Amino acid sequence: MSNSARPPKRRMFGPGTTIEDLKTYMGPFAASLGYRFNTEAEFVDEVLASELEILEATGDVYCPCRIRTGDPKEDVAIICPCIPFHREQFAAIRKCWCGLFIRTDVSDGAELLGVMDEPEAGTPIDIPVCRVSDLKPGSVRHVKVGKNDLAITRVGDEFFAVSNICRHAFGPLGDGVMEGYELVCPWHGWRYDVRDGTTDHPGSDLRVQPLFIVNEYVMIRTSA
Amino acid sequence: MTVKVFALSTCPYCRMTRKYLDENEVDYDVAEVDQLAGQEREDAIAEVKNISGGTSFPVIVIDEEVIVGFNKKRMKELLDL
Repeated sequence: MSNSARPPKRRMFGPGTTIEDLKTYMGPFAASLGYRFNTEAEFVDEVLASELEILEATGDVYCPCRIRTGDPKEDVAIICPCIPFHREQFAAIRKCWCGLFIRTDVSDGAELLGVMDEPEAGTPIDIPVCRVSDLKPGSVRHVKVGKNDLAITRVGDEFFAVSNICRHAFGPLGDGVMEGYELVCPWHGWRYDVRDGTTDHPGSDLRVQPLFIVNEYVMIRTSA
Repeated sequence: MTVKVFALSTCPYCRMTRKYLDENEVDYDVAEVDQLAGQEREDAIAEVKNISGGTSFPVIVIDEEVIVGFNKKRMKELLDL
């Protein structure tokens, strides 16, 4: 791989951190989640300038449109880019809460500024869970989508999603290994066929959810 | 009609919301929650959570109705603009 193809090096936060530094490390990460900076460049700079003020005051880049409560569990979910914590909501409104990031399939970010229309109940929402190239054949990883914890896997060019929690002792299947179509739990070796969630242990089949590909992203469908 | 805005000093949509209300000469109270300290701040956060179910801003309360986010269409309807 040539130097130019490597992702930009992450900049440390500290005195002298600039808007460009934030763009350098946030951009590639957002792209891996199916998002990019808003096409409204001035708006992006306004939000990032606010984040730098917050960085100076608090030590991290919290969302300028949400408040820190002091509860670490709540506050970690508003550190920018906070997309993994809000995949379902952001996929539905096609941008992150403050609009710094828009989905890669939105061509004009200006259209979404000041638009908070959430889809009506029952409307299907397609959520990017990762980039195709980030899930190698034979690999498995944990992804959180709304309240659901999923283990997503790839066998050749087929993609599967099962519940992340082993039915035996609640082991994290996203940390398991793949053997063919079988996902092996990292805790005690229970095996599940990722195509249909079945296992040899009676009454312990996993819930499965279909995945599909749009452009370079692995997607899952939920509804509002 | 009473209008109250819970805002953050760092939030672009809060600024847009206030500008929109100002331009339409709407009287409103505003609380800049991130500028509060101590008990006052905690109380304001608790109130925002209670009325909006979250900690996202702005939160606009028009009489009994609650709007979360800069939603011009909804403000226009509720304020009869």
